[in-house]
Formats: sequence, C-alpha cells, structure tokens
Amino acid sequence: MAFKDSKFFKNLLIFLAVMGPGFITANVDNDAGGIATYSLAGSHFGYTLLWSIIPITLALVVVQEMCARMAVATGKGLADLIRENFGVKITFYFMLALLFVNLANVMAEFAGVAASLEIFGISKYISVPLSAAFVWVLVVKGNYKSVEKVFLTACVFYVAYVISGFMAKPNWSEVLHDTVKPHIQFDVEYIMILVALIGTTIAPWMQFYLQSSVVEKRINPEEYPYARLDVIIGCIFAPIVAFFIVVACAATLYQAGIRVDTAQDAAIALKPLAGDYASWLFAFGLFNASLFAASVLPLSTAYSICEGMGWDTGIDKQFKEAPQFFGLYTAIIMVGAGIVLIPSFPLLKIMYLSQVGNGILLPIVLIFMITLINDESIVGEFVNTKFFNIVCWVTVITLSILSSALLVFSFWRSSA
Amino acid sequence: MDKAVDTKFFVYFSEILGCHVLDRTNRYVGKLAEIVMKINGEIYPKAEYLIVEKGLFPTRYAAIPWSCVKEVDDIIRIDSTREDISYQTHKPKYDLMLCVDVLDQQIVDTYNQKVVRVNDVHLLRVDHQLHLAHVDVGLRGLVRRLAWTNAIDAIVKFFSPRSSYLIREELISWKNAQVLSLGRTKSLVRLDVAREKLSQIHPTELADMFRDLSNFEKCSLYKSLDMAVQRKVFADLAINEQVELIDLMDDKEAATLLENIPSDDAVDLLLKLPKRKTLHLMKLMETKTSKKLGKLLKFSRDSAGGLMTTEYLFLHRDALVKDALQKVKDNTQFPGNIYYLFLVDDEQKLIGWTSLRWFINVDPEIPLLKVCHPRKLFVRTNDKIEAVALLFEKYKFSVLPVVNEADILQGIITIDDVMEELISIAWKKYKEKL
Repeated sequence: MAFKDSKFFKNLLIFLAVMGPGFITANVDNDAGGIATYSLAGSHFGYTLLWSIIPITLALVVVQEMCARMAVATGKGLADLIRENFGVKITFYFMLALLFVNLANVMAEFAGVAASLEIFGISKYISVPLSAAFVWVLVVKGNYKSVEKVFLTACVFYVAYVISGFMAKPNWSEVLHDTVKPHIQFDVEYIMILVALIGTTIAPWMQFYLQSSVVEKRINPEEYPYARLDVIIGCIFAPIVAFFIVVACAATLYQAGIRVDTAQDAAIALKPLAGDYASWLFAFGLFNASLFAASVLPLSTAYSICEGMGWDTGIDKQFKEAPQFFGLYTAIIMVGAGIVLIPSFPLLKIMYLSQVGNGILLPIVLIFMITLINDESIVGEFVNTKFFNIVCWVTVITLSILSSALLVFSFWRSSA
Repeated sequence: MDKAVDTKFFVYFSEILGCHVLDRTNRYVGKLAEIVMKINGEIYPKAEYLIVEKGLFPTRYAAIPWSCVKEVDDIIRIDSTREDISYQTHKPKYDLMLCVDVLDQQIVDTYNQKVVRVNDVHLLRVDHQLHLAHVDVGLRGLVRRLAWTNAIDAIVKFFSPRSSYLIREELISWKNAQVLSLGRTKSLVRLDVAREKLSQIHPTELADMFRDLSNFEKCSLYKSLDMAVQRKVFADLAINEQVELIDLMDDKEAATLLENIPSDDAVDLLLKLPKRKTLHLMKLMETKTSKKLGKLLKFSRDSAGGLMTTEYLFLHRDALVKDALQKVKDNTQFPGNIYYLFLVDDEQKLIGWTSLRWFINVDPEIPLLKVCHPRKLFVRTNDKIEAVALLFEKYKFSVLPVVNEADILQGIITIDDVMEELISIAWKKYKEKL
C-alpha cells in the first residue's frame, strides 16, 4: 500500500514537473477573440451551440498531441522541421504570412486589454503601454521557468469565468441536454458562429508555440506520457472555460434578449442581469486572457520565425546572443500595442483580418504537421499509427473545410 | 584557355539547382534536382552523381554519374544520350546529398563554435571536379535562395552603396562544418561522417565548444562522438556543465557514462544530482560499479574516503619487478593513475607501494617489495582533508593509498583531487572573511 502510494506521488511529481506547455497553450486559445466569440455564441443562440464544445475538444486534443509528440521525438520546433523538410522558400513565405497574421492577433489582444480595463474606468492610454511593458519585461528579463510560472498562474484566473457561469444561475438540466445533443440550425449566422468557435479554438500559432515550449522544456521521450497528459488536461480545461462563458451569456443575455457583438459589451450587459461581481469577473477574465495571450503570441511568433530562418532562439538566452529573436519580440509588442493607441484605427477590421489569416494558415500548418509526423526518418518510433492517422486526417479535413467556409462566409458578410 | 579563365571557380548550389540538363545531342534530359557527394574521407567531398528530375505526375528521377558530366554552367551538359539514361519514379537515396543532408540543416561551425543553419552551399570547380567547399550561413545566402538577390541588392545600393551587406559573405569551410544529427533519430551515415571529422579536434577544444551550444545542440553533438572521445570531453567539462549534460541524456546513457569515468569524478557528479536521480542511476549501473560508488558516496566530502578514487593498480606482495612492468604495460588504457603500484596481501591489506620511477630500471627478477617506499605511508578513510594535505606536503607525493581501520586498501587519493577541494575550502573561508 505504502509502495503504491509512493509510486503515485512519484508519478504526480513527474507530471507536475513536466506540466506546463500543453496546459498553457490550450488556455491561451481563450484569448480576447475567443471570449468575444463565446459571448456572441451564448447571447445570440443560447445553449444551442454548447454541443459543439465536445467535438472541438477532441479535435484540439488530436492536433496538439501531434505537436507535443513531434517535439519530444525530434527535440526541434515545428518551424525547424518545416525548414528542414520543405525548404527555405516555403518556410520564408509561410513565416512572413504567419508574422502578419500573428501581429494582427497581437493587436486584437491589446485591444482586449484596453476594452476590459475601460470597464473599470482605466484609460487605454495607461493600460496598454503598461501591459506592453509588463509583457516585454516578463520575457526579456525572465527565464523559461519563471515565465512558465507566471503563465500557469494566469491559467488559474480563467476560473473567473467558471464562477461567473455559476453566478448567472443557468438552468442546469437544459444546459446538460444541449451539451450532449447535437443541434444544427441551417441559418447562415448559426453556421458562421459554429465555424468561428472552431476557428478561434484551434489557431496556427498554437502549434508552433506548443512544440517550441515542449522543446525548450527538454522533455525526454520517457517523460512523454506525462507531457501527453498535460496536453490532454489543458485541452479539456480550456473548452470547459469556453463552456461557462457560453453558459453565462446564454443564461442572462440571451434570456433577456440582449445580443452583444464584443466581449466588453457582454461584460457591461451582465451588470444589471447578474450583478456587479459577475460583470467584474467577466471583465477581469477578459483582461487576464488578453494580457496572457499578448505575452504568448509575440513570443510564439519570434520563436517560429527565428527557428525557420535559423537564428538563435530561447528565453534563456541573453539579448546579444539572440538579437533577432528579442528584436522581433520587441517589435511585435511595440507595433501591436502602438496601433491600438492610434485613435479611430479600424480595430474591428484588423481583428476580422486576423481571423481570416488564421483560417488560411491553419490547413497549411496541419498538412505540414501530418506529413512530418508520418515520416519515420524524422520522428522514429513516434510516427502516427494507422488509426491515429485516420483520426488526424478526418480532423484536418473537417477543420480545413470549416476554416475555408469561415473565409467564404467572412467575405460574403463583409461584401454584403 | 579562354574558357578556363572565363569559368568561375566557385558556384553556388542554388544557382545551378533547377538548371536544365542537356544530353550530347542537346536534347532535354531534365532539371538538376540534387547533387550526391562522395564520402571517402576527403576534406572537401567531390560530386559523385547528379540527380535529374523530369516531368510532373509522376516525376521521374535519374542519377547521372559525374564521369558523364561535361560541363556545369547555366546549362549542364552531359556526355551520354537521353536513351542511355534510365529513369525511376523514386528519388534515389545516397549517403551525402546536398538537398537532403546539407541544405537547410543545422550545422555546428566548429571554428566559431556555434550552431547555424545552412542557407546555401558553395561549390568549387577545379580540375573537372565539383567539390563541396563552403556552406553559406549568411543573410545573402538566404536572399539568394529566395531569388531576390537583384532586387534586394538594388534597394540596399540605393540607400547605402557601401553597406556591408553587399560584400559580406558568411561562408564556413566544409572542413569546419559539422552536420548535426537530426533529432533523436540518428542517421548512421551522418554520424560516421561526424565522427571522422570530430575525431580530428582535440577533446579539450570540443569541450570548449560545448559551452557555447544550446542544450539540444550539446546533446546532438555529444552523441555524435565515439565513446572514448565522449569520456575525454566529459572529463574536461566543469562539474555544473557535467550535471547539465547528464540531465539531458536519458538515464541509461547517463548510467553507462558514469560507469566509464573515474569513480571519484562519478561520485562528485552523483553528489550534485537530486537524490532520486542518483538512486535511479545507481540502479541502472552494473552491480559492481554501483556498489563501489555507493561505498564512496557514504564518505564525507572532506575526508580521505570522500576524495579517493577506486581506480588503482595493485599486485600481490610476492610479485616481482617484471610483473610490475608487465602490469603497467597492460594497463596503458587504464582510466586511473598507472605510475603507482600498490602491494597487498591475501586479505587485501596494504603492504607497501611503489612508483614506476623506482622500479623501471632495476633487475626485473627481484621482488617488488624490495623497491617499495621504506615506510608504510597511508591515510585512513576518515582522515580529514587537512591531514591528508599535510602528508602530501611533507613527502611531496602525488598519490597516497587509503586504507580502512583493518588496514585493507580502499582506494587512492591523487594530489589534484586534494588541491581542488582545498582551494574551494580556502575560497569559501576567504569569502566569509570579506
């Protein structure tokens, strides 16, 4: 018995040591754009979109697990592998596209920071520069371990949304029913939000970030089962948060007939319906999520581009050891935060463009990934099994179709 | 004559990649898709085959031996006819291929001691041979690969005609370039090439190189070395670097390594590791080694037992000088000290000890005991380091035997081990005073 216990604790300790990359990456998905989409889904369609969370979770697990596996098998980042196996031309143009898409995403995050703190009455001219400085110092002055700790702490604050979900006092039997029973409504807006839900949860940059951080954490092949557990737990926790956001908005805004289009509108609209605290929690959650994503995204972008171009990378390095890495990181934050401060800048357009960009890049990244993970000369024994390959391809094809559908819909909406 | 002068000696791989290949009668054979280099120990490998590709869906490939190649320029001409070439549907595989094994891969620049990515390959044309001369790791190489050289050059020239970008080539001689093994799946060929080249670098220099590499790079480079070199490089690393490297290896590899280094070094290292890891590594070692190390681990760090190593040469008390000479000859590869021999009785009790200097020139037939140190000098396992140091100082030895309470020989202490420890103690005291 005692032996069993000690084994359990030993496993737990190894898991806690390995934990981080998967959990963090999955949680960063619930960024400003994600929360906006979930609020939209809840306030426009009530509980009827809840069922989609389960298949989304599955797809997320499948995709992220491949990344973690590749990282452990090769000890290299996704961009490294793409460069080595697909050549410099493809890598360069892909990275260029990724840079712009991620930059647009970073702007969206800083816009989220600005919007959430405005609810508390803090001007964006104070909040945005301060958070940009915080984000920059965090990575440039920190090392991998300290940064990971800050990020893991940020993950905990997502519980704010779970609490506001409960505070909204939803009808639980209805929630449960709609979660397990798929429901398709053939109206354009419904399908668009459905696609947007998937698009916002599985983004191209996540794959690069997860793989790089698993590599930087130096997880051994023997520790891989723990890393996989980390990915799976993260990929389940993140959609649970999404679930509660949808529930909170559905139970209050949808019931009251209020249709919101942004996350800050949702937070404001919650005030009279669910009370001050629910509203504050919602706004605080948005702030936390935006700041968190604003720290991770520039980092992920700098990692990917430097890996692909063959420049030195790593949080643990000094500025002069990896000038391109820190230079890019700084530039992305400055541009991302700076643009948000320009009065009357078309922010909504940028956010929309970032979604479109994600949609275009995702299928390409997924195809890169599947090609790489099936190459035994690259990943060795970690190659995909036949069954897993089928699951992966189905996921990839579905995601690709949906994200191209999102593109088509977006164009259609913007031209309409 | 004119032709030879005209022809550039150097050509970039990216400039000829995709060039049209024509046969003797000027008919199209295909596009250049790959160059295969010969691995035969030459510093600058020669081209062995050109691989040509033709058509789409299906693309067909053919390997053309270098002996058939007439001219490599904007157009590649070969000396056979299209009919002689047999195409196949798969790209043939060889040991050293420029696109697969060099281009876009990470290499260790063994001269500047850092890891870089290959943007282009610089080929040398001499004597109707094509040599792999340099790899280009610079920005210009990257731009050239993207086929933007003219545009970028024009822009840079416009703004700053003297920009260093325009002239600076970052080439690394193939002599100093070392392709890293890909990830954790090893390519055997690559490792062979690596070993050959790395074996020409002195282990101490390799150890210096290690300091500038990232963890992953360290690991891949380390794994490309052969066992003997691995040990030497490891011995040259500082203790905290050793700990780092042990952390990066998987436990089996770490255990094997610890078995093969002098036991006092192994113990120093084990003491620095977390207890859990130490126990785990000991479990993976051969029982004999782990018992030995376990015993050493129990001694306090500043006692003779904690300082000693268990690698020493010993003989039975009845041995003759010729036995001793033979013992030394047989053990030239021995990891420990071979200049001192220790004589023990049937119960492993220390009887005396001697140095190569004392018996190398005496009659081989006399008993070794006759040329032993006249006094039975030794330290005990629980003697403090200060006492040991005094003894070293008094007799000017470089090594002393260590025995336990029952006078049984346990190991030996070398003076450098004592010095190392003394210096760190002195340093600590000095810092406390400050």
